Formats: sequence, structure tokens, C-alpha cells
Amino acid sequence: MRRWIGSGARGRGDRRVRALPYACGVVAGLTAFSWMLAQAASSGPAERGRRQFQQSCGFCHGADATGARGPDLVRSKVVAHDVNGNLIGEVIRNGRPDKGMPALPLSADQIRDVAAFLHERAREALASNRVPAVYPLARLLTGKAEAGKAYFSGAGGCNACHSPGGDLAHVASKYPPLELEARMLYPRGAQPASVTVTLASGEQVSGRLLHLDEFMVSLREASGWYRSFPRDRVKVEVRDPLAAHEALLGRLTQDDLHNLFAYLETLR
Amino acid sequence: MTRFAMGFEPAAARRSWWAVWLAGVAGLCLGAAALFAQGLDPSALLRPATDTWPTYNGDYSGRRYSPLDQINAANIGALTLAWVYRARGAEIKSTPLEVNGILYFTAPDNVWAVDARYGREIWHYHRPSEGDHIGHRGVAMYGEWLYFTTPDAHLVSLRARDGRVRWDRELADPKLGYFSTMAPLVVRNHVIVGVSGDVTDIPGFLDAVDPATGELQWRWYVEPAPGEPGSETWPRNSDAIRHGGGMTWMTGTYDPELNLLYWGTGNPNPVLAGQARPGDNLYTCSIVALNPDTGKLVWYFQPSPHDVHDWDAVETPVLFDAPFGGEPRKLLAQASRNGFFFVLDRTNGRHLLTAPFIDTNWTAGIDSRGRPIRNPDMDPRPDGALVEPASDGATNWMSPSFDPQTGLFYVDARRVFSIFYLTATGKPEGWAGRDRGLWANSTIRAIDYRTGRIVWDHETGPGENSAGILTTAGHLLFTADNEDNLLALDPATGKTLWHLNVNDRLSGSPMTYELDGRQYVLMAAGDTLYAWSLPAGAAAP
Repeated sequence: MRRWIGSGARGRGDRRVRALPYACGVVAGLTAFSWMLAQAASSGPAERGRRQFQQSCGFCHGADATGARGPDLVRSKVVAHDVNGNLIGEVIRNGRPDKGMPALPLSADQIRDVAAFLHERAREALASNRVPAVYPLARLLTGKAEAGKAYFSGAGGCNACHSPGGDLAHVASKYPPLELEARMLYPRGAQPASVTVTLASGEQVSGRLLHLDEFMVSLREASGWYRSFPRDRVKVEVRDPLAAHEALLGRLTQDDLHNLFAYLETLR
Repeated sequence: MTRFAMGFEPAAARRSWWAVWLAGVAGLCLGAAALFAQGLDPSALLRPATDTWPTYNGDYSGRRYSPLDQINAANIGALTLAWVYRARGAEIKSTPLEVNGILYFTAPDNVWAVDARYGREIWHYHRPSEGDHIGHRGVAMYGEWLYFTTPDAHLVSLRARDGRVRWDRELADPKLGYFSTMAPLVVRNHVIVGVSGDVTDIPGFLDAVDPATGELQWRWYVEPAPGEPGSETWPRNSDAIRHGGGMTWMTGTYDPELNLLYWGTGNPNPVLAGQARPGDNLYTCSIVALNPDTGKLVWYFQPSPHDVHDWDAVETPVLFDAPFGGEPRKLLAQASRNGFFFVLDRTNGRHLLTAPFIDTNWTAGIDSRGRPIRNPDMDPRPDGALVEPASDGATNWMSPSFDPQTGLFYVDARRVFSIFYLTATGKPEGWAGRDRGLWANSTIRAIDYRTGRIVWDHETGPGENSAGILTTAGHLLFTADNEDNLLALDPATGKTLWHLNVNDRLSGSPMTYELDGRQYVLMAAGDTLYAWSLPAGAAAP
């Protein structure tokens, strides 16, 4: 956060002075807010429930409730139907003598906390079909930066359009790791395609490509005006600056991908 | 019966067979006719008349080929709107049924009955529910009754004349993550219905219920019981097999002569994490043949053994009779989500052909049983694996078609890359990761079923397509591109014969019927259902 304000405000002259107190206020506010969140997480019912669960239930059901000697409770039908411990509490208080589970002397508050923890675990499983927005860089950094650098200027041919000191300077500071990896492969929308339409008369019209299908092409001229043409009466030449990325997708090995990413991460 | 219904047959043979069939069936139908009044006698599903579209795929074969030819390659330029119906905000991904001049179609929580000649609403049923509202494919009909699945995994029977509820039964526990989007299939006195839900690790199954009462007749579990054949493809001493997934979320097909039901099953769970379930994980990502009276497995074929990319093998198992290797064969073909086209002998499940229908990068060849061999380098991993196709697949729910006039199989396909991240730490549960999409480009492809050769390729634009395909005896193929154009193509060459920009995507599959001597083609784009026909009074050439 601090680094962003420092680098972002640099070179803006006296605007930095006026912006600074405001920015400091925002930072303080955000810090306080995240501290409150952290406190809530570490002392909330789910966190208290986690500790209680690990102490009373973890030996059989696993510390994370995914099962050990006893069943996996993240996938449990009782947990799925439970509301605030009404069903989970019954099992805790009475045990399951037929299955070898003893009754446990937990208070009503402790049972509610354990239930909150188990519901949170079930929610985590439900949310597991998304890549977390904040993803640890360390998990992505499995490649060799040196090999990535060689690929950049060698087999990858990236240097035909990019340079580490030019457009890619500090690129690793600009994007979160997952975003950088995706943009490295295909930077969707980063640069619009341009098009030249040649009419039957020989007249040529060029501009930014807006729409292209089997039947028509449309573009915006430098003047800002919109033009459209039927495909069957004109010649269309599209220049897509991302075409090289498209071609690269079919060529990259997993090693190339991770090496190249490790190299881009050095451009801070 | 199916040999004639589904294959290449000389016209003379067809006529003589028709006479025999009519003589035999007429007597049976006379009694039933009174009973079913304006509804649908299930025996009519054996040979649908051209004035009906009585089941999700139009008939049991799943070919989505209509013998109607009033609208044809010579007059398609005169195609005009007969009427338009708007569902006001609900995206129509379903294929309408059409029986006795009434259309029945759906969106999640909603069923509409609409006049098939004039587009006027007859009734609208709305049932708000919890659960996943990702889409809905349509209803099934038996007699005077409709069968509708819901986001909270219920099966509802409605009276077709007014949409009143007869009964409403829970198929599976929605609190565990089950829901249902599919159009059930009626086979004699069985309503065959499947379920969805791969976010939690729940077992997939297929049910047959009594059309009158909704009571369960049989349930076939996608995972075999421990000790049964197939259970050896799951780890021992683990609960993996009881949480193995394999949803049955698309309508299957049926061969009345063999009395076999063909169904595709979905991906295993946890979805991207295979390490806790070593083995092929039968019968997930499989095509299975079941006895519709008992629910017993007769044979299976697995397009994606041990899937870790969400490549459900639920795409329509299309049935047709045609020569293969110089002999007439009863075939089953599937263009599967994993990018491969499979042809099987549907009498016994014997594999005949495996061929890629689009570029993929995830295999290390084909094994001796015709199954693609997974390249472990392409498995999801914590640092990401670049894979083609993405989890959405090289194709998906969009209906394919087989045209007996050209002998070609058509699929709405795409090249699509994404990075698969395995994000789970500890015991993987649910999806345990996800892929992030990078780039996609779509195409309609015509496949020679004998060789897998791509006969033609019609690009439909950047992004992932969602349009199903219909072919007709009028030498037409109806579909749409990714740029909001409805299309009619020449099925022999892929050349465009007609198009119209309707400013929305076709996300279902076209269907057709003939009423009062007029052929209609229906295509839903967004929330709007368009009925196309030749101008009223125009003489068909």
C-alpha cells in the first residue's frame, strides 16, 4: 500500500502534498478496518469453534473436520441441514453410541461455536470452484527466471514486441501475480485490432476494428466516425497485435509458461 | 424399428414397413387414443409424427434431424417471421415440445404453454426455488401430463391443459448441493430423470419414476457399490467412491428395438483433484447403456478415464444405423466435451472409432480400447497448467445433429485455452481449484462418422459458442454464430444460405414442426422465441 502511494504520487509536484493527508487517512482507515476484520476472525464464533473442535472432536474427525477415524463432517448431511447447532448439538450432547462416538459435555455456546466452524468449512468447500483473488506468489514461482529470460528473447519471440526496460518495466509491480500470468499468456483487450477495408472502387478506409463477422465489418475512423461495410463487397485486412499471443498458446509447454512467468516476476 | 427410424433406408422399404407398423400399432393406439385425448400417447414417441416434437431431442435417436422439407435450400431466402414470443427476461435455453398445436418450454422455475400457430401464451407456471439457476432444458410429456425438474432438485408433474400441479416430489436433497436442469425422457411407463451438482462431493444417479404417481421405480447410481464391478477403479479403504460425483444432467437417448437407454455421465469429484481418487473412477465421464425397465447396466464406454478437467461426457449419445467398415451397423456417436469424437456399436458398446474433432493438448495418444490417454503434465497444479480445452470443454450441452442425407455428424465446437489451478491445501473437497479462461474461438464442424475426418468447418467467431444444431430433409442446417446471427447452412458444404442478426445469442437448440400444412422452425435467442416459416399462402415448391 505504502509503496503504491510513494511511486504513484512521484512526479506530480505539489498535488502530492495535498493528496498525502487524504491518502494517509485512507490507509489508516483501511488498516483499522482490516485489523477489526482480523480480530473478528480470530475471536469470532467460527474461530472459537475451530479451537473447540480441534480440542474435543479433532482426534476422530480430523483437525480440519475432513475426517480421520470418524467421518468427514464437511460433507455431512447433518451439518448441511443444521441451523445454529440445532442438529449438531443433538449429536454432540447424545453421542452416537452405535458408532462408538461418546456424548460430549459442551455448553450451548460451545456447541454454537462448533456449528459455526463446521458451516464455515462447508462454505469453504462450496467456494472451492474459484481461484482466490489473492493467490500466494510463492505457489506460482516454480519456474527458472534465467530460462524464462532466454525464452523471452529466443524461442518465444516475445522481444519482437516487448522489452523488459520499456513496456514491461516494473510490470510485476503493476499486476497481482495471477493477473500477470493470465495477461502474459493472453492480454485480452490490451490493444485493439485495426482494420483496412478496400472498396470495389479501390478506396481504402482504415480505423479501429469494432465488429467483424461473416456478413459485415465495422470500424471507427481516426475522425471518430463509425463506418460499416458488407463483407461480400469489400476486402478486409485485420491487424491484430495479439495474434502472436494466440499462436503462442498452442506452443508453450508447462515449463516455458512457468519459466517465463518467473522471469516477468523479476521485472519489479 | 429403430433401424428404419434412424438409418438410411430405401423409400420403398420404408413404405412397406410403415404399413406393417401401422397395422400392428393402430389396434393398440385406438384404446389409448381416448385415454390420452389431446395429450401424448407414449407409443407415439416410437415414430414421432411431423406435426409434433414430443420429446427433448424430437425423437429417441438424438439425431435432431427432421424429415420436413417445406422450408428448404431453394426457398430459404423467403423465410419470414410467423410470430415472436418474449419470456420477459428469462433466458430460454430449453428445446420446446410441441404436441397438438401447443408448445411447452422452460427456464429455471418457469414453464410456458404457448400456441404453436400464433405465439399466444396459454398459461405460465412459476415456482420460485432455492438452488442453482444455471439453465433449464425443457419438459417431458406423458398423456396429459408434463414433467419439470427444478433448481431445488424436485420433479413436478403439471397438467398440460392448464399448468396445474398434480404432484411435486423431491428427487434429491438440495441442501447437499443437488439441483436439476434436464428435460426428463419418457420410455413407455418410465419417466427417466437425472440430477446436477458438482460443487459438493455427492454421488450422481439416474432415476426412473412412475408417470402417474412419481414413485421411484429404480435408481442407478453412477458409482458402483463397493465390491461390485467397476468399484476396483476407485481407491480401497477410502470414502472417495461414495463422494465421486458423476451427474446425469443431459437427456439421454433410447433404442426401442434393443430396449436400451443410453446416458452420458458427468465428471468425478473432487473435480480438479485426482490424487485422492486414483483409478478410472467408473462410471463417471462415461456413456452407459441401461435396461430402462430395471436400471441395470448393460455396457459402458468411458471417454475420459480419471477426469480432472470437468469434461462431462453428457453430450447427446446420437443413435443412427449406417454402414461402418463395409457392414450395416447400429451406431452410437458422441462428440465429447474432451474434444474427441467417439463411434461405438450400440448393441454391445464395442469401440469403433476415436478421432479428435478439434485441437487439444491434453492427451498422450489413444489406448487399445479407444480411450484418450491423459498426459499427467496437463493435470491441474498449484502453479497452473495451460490446457486446451478449458473446463467448459471443446463442446458442451449444445445439441449436435446427424443428417442421414449427408451422412455427416455436426458439432458446435471451439478451441479454448485456460490455466487450471489446483488450489486445495489439505484434503481436497468440492472443486479444489478452478481454471481461468484465456482465449476461445468457435466453429461448426461436419464430421465423417466413418473416419472422423472434418469435411467442413464454419467459423462462428471469437469466444465460446452456445448454439445447438438442427438438420432437416430440406437440405438445411439451422444454428447460430457468436455474433447474434441466426444461420441456415448447407449441410453438405457448410455454406451460409440465410442469416439474420437478432441482437442476442442462441443458447438452446432449434426445433421444427408442421401444422396445417405449414412448417415452422423455432429458435430462441435470449428471452425471445422466434417462429420462422414461409409467407402464409406461399406455395411450397
